[in-house]
Amino acid sequence: MNRQTRSAAMWTCVLAGMALFTSAELVHTQTAQPAWMWSPPLTGPAPGEIQVLPVQGHVHVIVGAGANITVQAGPEGILMVDTGLGSMSDKVLAALKTISTRPLRYIVNTTEFEDHVGGNAPIADTGEIVPFREPNYTAGPQGALDITKASVISYYTLFHRLAGPTGKTPKIPELGWPDNTFSIPQKRLYFNDEPVVITHTPSNTDGNSIVLFRRSDVVSVGDLIDLTGYPMIDLAAGGSVNDMIESLNALIDVTVPAKNAAGGTMVVPGHGRIADHAEVVYYRDMITIIRDRVEDMIKKGMTLDQIRAARPTREWDRRYGRDTGPWTTAMFVEAVYQSLRQ
Amino acid sequence: MHRQSVVAWIAVAGCLCGAPAVAQVDIAGLWRPLPRNQDGSGLTGDMAGVPVSPEGRWRTQSWSPDNFDVAEWVCRPHAWDYSLEGPLSPIRFWPEIDQPTQKLIAYHGHINMMEQETSIWMDGRARPPANTPHTWSGFSTGEWEGDTLVVTTTHLKEAYIRRWGLMRSDRSVVRTRWRRIGSFLQATSILYDPVYLAEPYIRTTMMWVFDSAMPMNPYPCEEATETAVPRGSVPHFLPGRNPLPGLNPQVTDAFGTPYEPRLGGPETMYPEYIAKMKAFPRPKQVEAAGP
Repeated sequence: MNRQTRSAAMWTCVLAGMALFTSAELVHTQTAQPAWMWSPPLTGPAPGEIQVLPVQGHVHVIVGAGANITVQAGPEGILMVDTGLGSMSDKVLAALKTISTRPLRYIVNTTEFEDHVGGNAPIADTGEIVPFREPNYTAGPQGALDITKASVISYYTLFHRLAGPTGKTPKIPELGWPDNTFSIPQKRLYFNDEPVVITHTPSNTDGNSIVLFRRSDVVSVGDLIDLTGYPMIDLAAGGSVNDMIESLNALIDVTVPAKNAAGGTMVVPGHGRIADHAEVVYYRDMITIIRDRVEDMIKKGMTLDQIRAARPTREWDRRYGRDTGPWTTAMFVEAVYQSLRQ
Repeated sequence: MHRQSVVAWIAVAGCLCGAPAVAQVDIAGLWRPLPRNQDGSGLTGDMAGVPVSPEGRWRTQSWSPDNFDVAEWVCRPHAWDYSLEGPLSPIRFWPEIDQPTQKLIAYHGHINMMEQETSIWMDGRARPPANTPHTWSGFSTGEWEGDTLVVTTTHLKEAYIRRWGLMRSDRSVVRTRWRRIGSFLQATSILYDPVYLAEPYIRTTMMWVFDSAMPMNPYPCEEATETAVPRGSVPHFLPGRNPLPGLNPQVTDAFGTPYEPRLGGPETMYPEYIAKMKAFPRPKQVEAAGP
C-alpha cells in the first residue's frame, strides 16, 4: 500500500467514524455536562434517522445522514449539496420526496470526505439531467454525458481524488464521480429561478467549494465550518489552515446580516446547526487565533509536543475539542502545525 | 348551614384550588431601568464575582479592545440576557392574545440597545430542534410560578457576559424570573454555561419602574466601512501578554481590589470570600475605571 493509498484509507476510516460520531441524537456531544448544568432537552435526529429542516427561500437541510445535505427545490427540479453517507441514501431519497417530487438534476460536492460524497452513486442514479452540453460530445476530459442520472458538480481536484489514479480502487463507484467539474474560481448556474454560485474555497482540502443560493440568500459551506468540532484539515489532500482562514474571510464577504449581526444570509455548515454571519465570524476568529498562537510558538522554536502541551486551543476545547474518536484536538493542532511548517 | 350550601361551597373551593396557575400580574408596558452596578468594579478585565471556568478566564485573557473595531462585529448587539444587566435597557413588553379564547399566547419584548427583541411563548409550544438557528435573544418559553413569570431561554448565540471578552457560549441556557411588584419590575437571571462557567451565574440587580411616558428611541446600526482593523485580521493577545488593567497584578481599582479575586471563579461569588480577599496584597497603583 503506497503512501497515498494509506492516507486515503485512513481518511475514509476517520470520516466514516466522524460521521457516526456526529449523527448522535443530541447535538451537544463534546463534553459531559457538569452536574450543576440545567437545560431542557434539545433534540436532533435519533442515531440512524434523519431530519428535514427548512432554511429559507427554496432551501432545506437534511440533518443526520453524515454531513448536512442542503437541498434547493423548485419547478426545474432538485439541486443537492452533498449526499451524506452511502448507508443513509435510502432515507435521504425518502426525505427528498417530502421536499419535492420534481426530478433530481444536480449534486454539488463541497468536499471529498466520505460523509459528503458517500451517497453520490445511489442518489445520482435516481436523477436525470437536462443536457448542458452535447451528450455525445466525447472530446472533453469527462467524455460523453449520461443524461439518465443527476449531474455531479465539483472542483476538478475533488474529481481526481474520488476517481483515484488509474488502476487503483476509486473512493466511490464511477456512477457517483463528478461529471461536471470546474477549474476556475467559480461555476455559476441559474436554477429554480435563482443564481447558484459555486465558489472554489480551498480549506479542508484543495478541492472544497461553497454554494451560494443568491435569491434564497443561503450559502452551503461544507466542512469549511463544522459547528460540532474543530475543522478537519487533510494535508495530504492539499488542506491548509491559511487557506481555510482566507476562505472563511471570503465567506464573511458573502454573508450579509439582516440586522445587528444576525439573520440575513443563512449558512448551512458541514455539521451542526443552521447558522448565520455571526457563527461564521466566531469560527473565523477562533481558527485565526489558534493559527496565530501556533505560528508564534513555532517562531519560538517549540516542538509539536511542546505546542500540544501549551494547549493553543484551550478555551475552545470544551466546546469543539475531542480527546477520543477519529478527529481529536491533538490531531487538529498537529494539522495546524504541519500546515504552517509547509 | 344547609347541607346543600356546604356542598356548593366545597365545590367552589375545589374549583379554585384545582385551577391551573395563572398570571396574577401583567408585565406588559413600558419599563424604565433603575441605576445598577453594570460591570463590577469597572476595571476592564475584572472577573471578580463571576464563576468563570478556566476556559472562560483564558478566553477573556486573549481579548483585545480592538475587537470593537472589527467591521463584522460593529453591529453585534448586547444579547437580550446581557442587555437586562447592561446599559440602555428600557424595555417594552406587550402581550399577544388569542382572541377567541382570550388566552395569552406570548409576551413580546423590545429592548432599546440595538433593538433586540424577544418572544416569551406562554402557550406550551415545543422547543425547536437543536439544529435550528440560534439568535441573540434565543428561544424562550414562560410559565407562572405564583406571581413569578419563569422564562427558559435556549438557542442562544455566543455572546458576552461583560463587554471586554468575558463570554458565555452558545450552549448557554438562561432562566429568568420576572416579578412585578406594583410599579416595579424585577428580574433575576440564572445563566448556565457548561463551557465558560464553572457554576451557574446569578444576577439579581435588574430593576425597572413602570413609565408610560418613557420614550423608546430607535437604535439602528449599519455595518462599518471605515475601520482601523484590516479585513481578515482578528485582534487578540497571545497568552500571557494581555495588558488589560484587570489582568495586571501591579494595578488596582478605586476599591483597592487585589489581583487574585479579579481572576474570578466560583469562590469569588460567595460572602465568605471577602475574608480571604483581605489577606491578599493590595496593589498600590490605582487605574482609572474602564468603559
